[in-house]
Amino acid sequence: MKYNVTAMALAFSASAALAEDMVTIEFAYPYSHLFDVTYEAMMPAFKEAHPNIDVKFRATYESYEDGTNTVLREAVAGSLPDVTMQGLNRQQPLVEKGIAQSLEPFIAAEDDFEKDGYHNAMLSLSTFNDEVHGLPFSVSLPVGYYNMDILRAGGIQELPKTWDNVIAACKTMKANGIDNPIFWGWNITGNWFMQALLWSQDKAIVENGRVTLDSPEALVALKQMQEIFTECEMQNLEWKAALSSFSAGEIGMMFWSTSALGAVERSQGDFELVTGPFPGLGKAPMGLPAGGNAAMLTSTSDDPKVREAAWTWLKYITSGDGAAEVAKTTGYMPPNKAANEIILADFYEQNPNKQTAVDQLPLLRDWLAYPGDNGLAITQVIYDSIERIVTGDATDMKELQIEMVEEVNDLLPNG
Amino acid sequence: MTREILKHMVLIFGAIVVLAPFYMMVSYSFKSPGEIDRGEGGFFGRQELMVDERCVKLRDPNRDDIAAARADFPGQSDRDISAALIDQAEADCAMRPAMFNYTKAFSEAPLLRYLVNGVIVTASIFLIQIVVALPAAYALAKLKFWGREAVFGLVLFCLLIPVHAIALPLYIMLAKVGLTNTYAALVVPWTISVFGIFLMRQFFMTVPDDLIDAARMDGMSELAIVWRVMLPTAIPALLAFAIFSIVAHWNDYFWPRIVVTGNRDLFTPPLGLREFKGDGDGSFFGPMMATATVIVTPLIIVFLVAQRRFIEGITLSGMK
Amino acid sequence: MAMTECSCTPATTTALSAQRQEGRAAWSLTAPALVLMFVILLVPVLVAGFLSFTNYSLGNNGFDWVGTKNYEKLFTRSTYEKMFVATFTYVVTVVPISVGFGLGAALLINSLGRFREVYKTIYFLPVMATLLAMAIVWEFMLHPSIGMVNHVLEMSCGTLLEVIPFIANGCVDRFPLWLGDPDYAIWVVCFIGVWQGFGFNMVLYLAGLTSVHRELYHAAEMDGAKSGWERFRLVTWPALGPTTVFVVTISCIRAFQAFDTIEAFWPQGGGPNKSAYVMMFAIFEKGVQQNLIGIGSAITMLFLAFVMFLTLIQRWLVERKVHYG
Repeated sequence: MKYNVTAMALAFSASAALAEDMVTIEFAYPYSHLFDVTYEAMMPAFKEAHPNIDVKFRATYESYEDGTNTVLREAVAGSLPDVTMQGLNRQQPLVEKGIAQSLEPFIAAEDDFEKDGYHNAMLSLSTFNDEVHGLPFSVSLPVGYYNMDILRAGGIQELPKTWDNVIAACKTMKANGIDNPIFWGWNITGNWFMQALLWSQDKAIVENGRVTLDSPEALVALKQMQEIFTECEMQNLEWKAALSSFSAGEIGMMFWSTSALGAVERSQGDFELVTGPFPGLGKAPMGLPAGGNAAMLTSTSDDPKVREAAWTWLKYITSGDGAAEVAKTTGYMPPNKAANEIILADFYEQNPNKQTAVDQLPLLRDWLAYPGDNGLAITQVIYDSIERIVTGDATDMKELQIEMVEEVNDLLPNG
Repeated sequence: MTREILKHMVLIFGAIVVLAPFYMMVSYSFKSPGEIDRGEGGFFGRQELMVDERCVKLRDPNRDDIAAARADFPGQSDRDISAALIDQAEADCAMRPAMFNYTKAFSEAPLLRYLVNGVIVTASIFLIQIVVALPAAYALAKLKFWGREAVFGLVLFCLLIPVHAIALPLYIMLAKVGLTNTYAALVVPWTISVFGIFLMRQFFMTVPDDLIDAARMDGMSELAIVWRVMLPTAIPALLAFAIFSIVAHWNDYFWPRIVVTGNRDLFTPPLGLREFKGDGDGSFFGPMMATATVIVTPLIIVFLVAQRRFIEGITLSGMK
Repeated sequence: MAMTECSCTPATTTALSAQRQEGRAAWSLTAPALVLMFVILLVPVLVAGFLSFTNYSLGNNGFDWVGTKNYEKLFTRSTYEKMFVATFTYVVTVVPISVGFGLGAALLINSLGRFREVYKTIYFLPVMATLLAMAIVWEFMLHPSIGMVNHVLEMSCGTLLEVIPFIANGCVDRFPLWLGDPDYAIWVVCFIGVWQGFGFNMVLYLAGLTSVHRELYHAAEMDGAKSGWERFRLVTWPALGPTTVFVVTISCIRAFQAFDTIEAFWPQGGGPNKSAYVMMFAIFEKGVQQNLIGIGSAITMLFLAFVMFLTLIQRWLVERKVHYG
């Protein structure tokens, strides 16, 4: 009965929509394995609320790097989508290049737009020159994923608080015949874990337009990574393979973004999964970079209808029902307090694993962009350097730091 | 006799290695995620009912849903209602793995569209290549004109330049004229096949001049001679060339990857497959293998049907 | 002028004008091909050569001349050293092996009485199949925990095969990660290159073998070439010379163009420690993804130089053969 009514309502609104003209907007987002289900869940309600807007999904970006690179290339080709989801660390160059547009005019035109609904810390991640250029869609922090069955079998009772604890845990597990104690997500997008180790020491990777890879803190970070990789004898898994191995119950501890929680739970094997706060260097981290992505308006259309539709979509996915789906289907934190009114009241009690990131919210810091046009290339240089630690190719961290700094300087403006 | 058996053993071992990935691909495309993980189920898998977790997640109840369902579950707590709703969703989302994999392959992304694009792109490339190459090959083979040696020299020189090698400048030029993300970008760089000109010229050299003279007597123009006299004689060579061209462009990944970014309407089959690969979710191995099977199958079928022609064709074009 | 100068008969005049007409027709028939050759093949080479001396980026209005700085980087930075090492490792491994297997398979199949067609078909399948799709399948098969390759290797534990050190080590510790291990990554890519390509070479060799006359074998036998090896060395191999030159060249060019497998396995970075960072991937990464067009163009120019050099060697070899023959 209920379905009949909805069907009729849909049919009615659809024909009503035909009378007006349909507006098509193009939209692209990254990480299909995390978000496909989220957008799929949003679409029916959005269609019902805005029957005259047709959202055309472009191919998903494989990663934030892929997303930025695609948008930059599309800007040259003149084929930008109307709305794009970009990694929080990639917003700045797009704003500087004038590809992502300010949202202030739209915000001003809204009667009841509640900037307040958005967590301030999150909104500030997308604010440049005092103007909001993106609405945060999903925010994540690094956490630890623990397979409690393996930990217990390895004789570990307590979740580690520092990296030294982690290494000690690795050794205990190894001694107890656990093959694969750890995966540490060095290869996560945008050098996020490098930045996490720097923020843990309260050091920004970019200060006043200067990349601080030559700082003592950076050396500490490199050495810490080396210690984890070698002492734990970590396998160099590709991250997707690592996620599926962890889900299959083959890895004891995985350090990764809370974002994957939804995906991991969906394909989780038969074991007890617990998340815990991100360990620190000697003491609890002093800060952690905010991961996640924000919706940016990149429409090149002059048609006010299209722009208005793009704004409607952008607003919908980041607030209310849209944001609620983010919380339900992924491990991300929704950007908007309004989401809490929609999801189950005891959502976080029922999903304690998703609570971990929320607890870490006070540590939220910027996931920084590298200055100049070559941000993507710099990301790759740092990635390559860390990879040399994992594979054991680089053993002297001081030397590695010098090489890395030299290559990065090449790519900086005036370098 | 033992030697014969030994030879067969070597060849059979080789065949197993060659066929292993094909076997895995087709087999995975039938199996459930669990069977893939644990490596069970033989070739077809057990085809037990499985639950589509995503489908369940989509029906995760909200406060409203629970309120609406309260009438159906009188006297139960919200938590029980929620659990009951999820159970119901799970029952509705159960499917046979093979069915699941193949429906996902076609519903997750517009796979049919990709296949059609593949046909459009390979067909237009081949047709334009022929339209451009045949007249030139005829002129180089049968017409005497000042500068012929130079033109032929140029053809020989251009044979040295593989299009993949100059992809970067081509991409920049296409971007400058605003042609990236169009069908044209997928087709244009391949419209000139120097190899085709060379191959057809060699072939036309063997066509007797009398045939052409007779056609001229009948008052045919040179262009008409190309299409009405030379083309029919060249069918075997053309088929060989067609095979070469179609195999190369149906399977090409490098060039489409460069010039097409986000617009799914332009995706060729390999690009579609790549997007699927971006999906890190372990439960999607099955659908991905189904997609791979669908993409690989057309050429394999054509190959099995027209095997002799294929191998002759490759040989002919290979041996010049 | 022409009229007065020669004592021409009407026939020669028409011949002359016919010739001129033929010339005109020829040029108009070749014109489209010529234009396209210039625009699509020659101009880009010049453009790449030009840009390789700049720091151009798409979307920027201008650029600076940087002289030979891009080329200097190519020859000094360790990243590019890895690129050359990976490219040459791949070419030097895949070409001989895929040519050797192609020849071996062709000889074996040719000597069979039955089932020739079956083997031919099977070995040719990988040539037809979309390489990207097959690369993804291989990635699954090589998966360290759920992949079939390591499963099969584990099955050999506890059997006689354990005398092989590789298997013994794997049984004690664990079998390799394949794609995550810099010691194996490039060899896996090479293996797939051979797997995919040798069927093509086999078909070319089978065609070459049909042109070896039976009488030659008889003649060789008369001359005392008793063993199969002698007959191969004296008759088959020389007769296959032109085929071999061609097969080697085309294998080289294809090997230089390796890209699909690497991009499928490691979309970021080109393999663990850049151990599979081949030139095509470098061009794509630098020039297209990172928009560093200067350096991308410089790699393009080097790439072209290698390929042209190889092809010229082939022509020279073929021509030498022709002269001797």
